[in-house]
Formats: sequence, structure tokens, C-alpha cells
Amino acid sequence: MSLLPSPSKEPLWREEFSVFTSDERYVTRRQFAKFLTLTSLGMFVGNLWVLAKAHFAKTPSFPSVEVGEVDEIPVRGIKLFTYPTPKDHCILIRTGEDQYVAYSQKCTHLSCAVYFSAIEDRLECPCHQGFFSVRDGSVLQGPPPRPLPQITLERNGARLLAVGLKGS
Amino acid sequence: MAKLERYQQRRGLVAIDGAMALIFILLIVQIWLLGATLEAFLAGHAGAVLPAAICSGLVFLGCVALDLFVTRVDQESRKP
Amino acid sequence: MHGYEFYVDPSRCIGCQSCVKACEECDTHRGTSMINFDFIDRGGTTASAAYVCWHCEEPTCAMACPTDAIKKGDDGIVQSSLEPRCIGCSNCVLACPFGIPKIFPEYEQMMKCDMCYDRTSVGKRPMCATVCPSQALSYVRPDGIAGRREKPTNVFQFGNQKVVTLVHMMVPAGTDSVSLDVLDYMWEGAYVAFAQPQ
Repeated sequence: MSLLPSPSKEPLWREEFSVFTSDERYVTRRQFAKFLTLTSLGMFVGNLWVLAKAHFAKTPSFPSVEVGEVDEIPVRGIKLFTYPTPKDHCILIRTGEDQYVAYSQKCTHLSCAVYFSAIEDRLECPCHQGFFSVRDGSVLQGPPPRPLPQITLERNGARLLAVGLKGS
Repeated sequence: MAKLERYQQRRGLVAIDGAMALIFILLIVQIWLLGATLEAFLAGHAGAVLPAAICSGLVFLGCVALDLFVTRVDQESRKP
Repeated sequence: MHGYEFYVDPSRCIGCQSCVKACEECDTHRGTSMINFDFIDRGGTTASAAYVCWHCEEPTCAMACPTDAIKKGDDGIVQSSLEPRCIGCSNCVLACPFGIPKIFPEYEQMMKCDMCYDRTSVGKRPMCATVCPSQALSYVRPDGIAGRREKPTNVFQFGNQKVVTLVHMMVPAGTDSVSLDVLDYMWEGAYVAFAQPQ
């Protein structure tokens, strides 16, 4: 194919270490083109790595942690707890007689701690006025880009257990 | 001077300069693509990862083609 | 460069060595002359010849250099060896058909004429051509040399190698190339016939 370079009759070392300064400058340019192509390959490999991660990511398993007792908090009351690790702060809200929801307390904007506003019936972030819905944690208003990660709750008799994390 | 300037006389100089500029632009595009893919993946939208990988591969092939072109024009211009 | 050419006419050399002394003045190699001054047959004749580097188009010294220390620029001047690269191996000394490069073992460096690049690159004449009283070494425009009886040539035969140089040599009119093979100049007829360049 005429597009491909033909094998040169001069040995490569003579081309790359040319006696003539004008040819030397030129080989530098060619080497730079090769270097850029190599960098492009590196980027492509990076993309492939992300693809591999997405493909082979295993579903994370979460521990089962007791959050509290049923009837421990009043209706429209809250309880703070940590799940899954002691560093992940979460908020439990009793939205009705038998209805409980729990979310991660880290605002998805810049990780300020959100609080439950009983008056407005929503989760509010005091830093930049980001508001989240109590029903599903979706963003009602403000700069947060993603909904609040929700904690899956399970009832075991009189105990409330946190068993999973969704959306983080 | 009886001897002409070898460098200025080099044919295909403009073609090589253009190809180099194009490679550079493609590289910028690819860097952005990688960044955007990673951001999307970490945000949970794993659906964009495969098309992005394909695009990145195409851009890389474009760079390879341009590199071969630069080498070819360079070889041609060296022939006396 | 700048329309000038360098012409060497050994027949005009009077052996005053002004070129040698003038070359020594150059700041790039102060005190060491780069002129190859030749007493042709000291015992037999007063004839002498002064030579500068011939700045070949395909410089053999540069081709032979293992460290890529000798470079030829766009203007045709073959530069003296690059100081960080030269290892003083003498490859160039052995390779040059004219015997121009000089090795200085005390600092492991080769030095040779670079046609006073600091002067010629800005349009001045090299030191040797400036001081030569008989203009055996001259740096003039081609029409300035046209008046001489000898004619310039810059093609040399060195065995099987054809060497084309930047510097011209003045030779009798009608001579198109100068042969450097020593056998060519021997009077034994049989050797001469055998050694004709291809």
C-alpha cells in the first residue's frame, strides 16, 4: 500500500544520527510524532482499564448492622448512626408510624452533613442550600449533582437493621 | 552560496507540520475522553464506558495512521 | 556563504606562514593554528602549500566519527568536533582523504578548521584568506577568481571515492578533477595503469 512507509535503504542509525544538522532536526520531529502516538496508546489502554473495571466489578457485600429499636424515635424524628464503616455517617428518619428511611449524611455536593427539616419535610444541606427528598433521596434543589445514597433497612422483630447501601 | 539550504528545500514540510498538529489535537481529545469516561464510571454510569473505549481506540488508530503518514512523507522528501 | 567561495592555490604559496599565525589568533582555539601547512619536499625544494579544511559535501570524517561529534550545517561548513562528544579516537584523522583533522591527546579532542565560522557566518573573510599576501588562500566571489589562469575545481578522486568539496582548488585549465591517490603520481607506468580510478 502506498500509504505505508517503505523500508529505507539507509540504515536507521545513519538516519537518526545524521551528520547533517538539518536532517537531525527533522528526525526529532519524526520521533516526536512517534512519542505522541505512544501517549495516545497509553490513553487507550487507560480507557480499556476502565472498561475492564466496569465489566468485572463484583457486587459489594454489606454487613448487617443494628441501627436501633422500633419505637426508639418518635414519628418525624431522626437518629444518627454509622454504616457500613464507623466513618460513614448516616441519618435514620421515621417518616410514619411504620415507615423508616435512612440515607448517607454526606451531601453529594461537597460532603457537608445534611439534616432533616421536619417543617419542610426534606433533607437539607446547610452549606449551599441543597435539598433532598425524604422519599428517595433525589435532589429537589441546589448544587448537589447526585441523589443521596440510600441505606436499605430491614426489620428483625423489634430491631432495625441496616443491610445495604444503594447509589454510592 | 552555491549550495542551497537543505532544510528549507525539504519538500512535504507543510504536510508534516499539518499532520503533527492534527496528532496533537487528537491527543487532547483523547485525554479529555479518558477523563470524562473515568468521571462517568465513578459516578455510576457504567453504560458510557464501552462506547468511550471504542472511540478512544479509533482516535489511537488515527494517530497511528498520521504517524505512518509523517514517516512516509519524511522518507519521500529525503530521496535526492 | 554570502556569495563568497574559498579558493586554494598551492602554487602561489610562498611559505610565509602568515596564515598559520593569523589562524592562531582565533578566539575559539587561541594559540593553536588549524592550518595544515605542508613543506612538500623540505630537503629538495622551497615549495610549500597551506591547506584548510575542504568542507566536503559528504564529509568522510563525520561519517567515520563514532560519537557523532562532527556536524555539517545547512551552509555547508563542516564544524570542528563537538567538545562534549569527541573522545579523541582519531577515526576522523585516519578517514579524511586530505589529512586535515588534528588530534590533541592532552585534552582528547580533535580540532580542525571551521572556516572561521564566527567571521564567515556574518560575511567577513576567514583569517587566513585575509592575511595571505599571495592570495594562495583567497575568499572571494566567483567572478573575482575568474581572471586567474588556473581554474577552480572541487571534485577529487580518492581511490574509488569521489569527494566533492566546498573549498575549491586552483588547477590547470581543462582539469576536471584532482586525483588524490598517491599511486597516480608514481612514475612507474605499470602501477599508474593499475591504479586508475573507476
